[in-house]
Amino acid sequence: MTQTEVHERVTDQEFESLLIGMLDAAYRLALRLTGDPQDAEDLVQEAALRASRFRSSFQAGTSFKSWFYRIVVNQFYTTTRRKRGTTTPLDELTDAHEVFLYARSLEAGLLRPDTDPAAGVVSRMAEDDVARALAALPDEFRTVCTLYFMEDLSYQEIATILDVPIGTVRSRLHRGRHMLQKQLWRVAQELGIVPTPSTTAPGEGGGDT
Amino acid sequence: MTLDRYTCLETVRRLDDYLDRELSARETVEVERHLDVCNQCLSRFRFESAVLDQLRGKLRRIPVPEGLEARLRDALRSP
Repeated sequence: MTQTEVHERVTDQEFESLLIGMLDAAYRLALRLTGDPQDAEDLVQEAALRASRFRSSFQAGTSFKSWFYRIVVNQFYTTTRRKRGTTTPLDELTDAHEVFLYARSLEAGLLRPDTDPAAGVVSRMAEDDVARALAALPDEFRTVCTLYFMEDLSYQEIATILDVPIGTVRSRLHRGRHMLQKQLWRVAQELGIVPTPSTTAPGEGGGDT
Repeated sequence: MTLDRYTCLETVRRLDDYLDRELSARETVEVERHLDVCNQCLSRFRFESAVLDQLRGKLRRIPVPEGLEARLRDALRSP
């Protein structure tokens, strides 16, 4: 072992301390990925054991969070995902566009000039309802969106965790967020928070340049 | 005299990147220049920003199960 390798490695105690420090955040991420508390705890534990086994691949001075989240996501892909049910078919969500919720809210008469934007549809939904909408996204979009919403990560940090180009993160995140808006509206309709399709009129209205 | 160079469509297409602070400095200036003169886009951006804040708040509100840390420590020390 070279002097550089010794210098770049962390001690067992330091490693466990880093791992325990990430535990709560990793559990929250895992719960949003799996949708089930027991699956989330299993995922975090499997990822932690794997991280411990391959701790030599972590280099001191680099982001432990990015390194560990990458293991969590990979573990999710290889094990937990197999247990999940079906998500909403992609073709039902891809016509979602920018400002989907804004446009639907405007059509439904829920937005007026004096309305506080924070008092919109999402504010009237419970945490579980929002999580249900996120869970319905296809996996590749849901994973990016989950990392984005659960942590204050840059596109580059998400790209590092998922080991994909930053352009892929941007594209999946934007499309995923638009799909999520459509899914949120669908859940809000089921809950009776917003009007059902038969009572809404198409078109957002003019005024664009 | 400066011109409002982005249309509503061009501005809205940059909405996500703008809210995530992922636009270039030049594009950020152009987007903000448009928002200064277009109330409808300003309203859209404020709405989107509020939605993102609410989604973050609701999705992050998760109680961590008791004993999680102890169970993990046990697992790490098991042979």
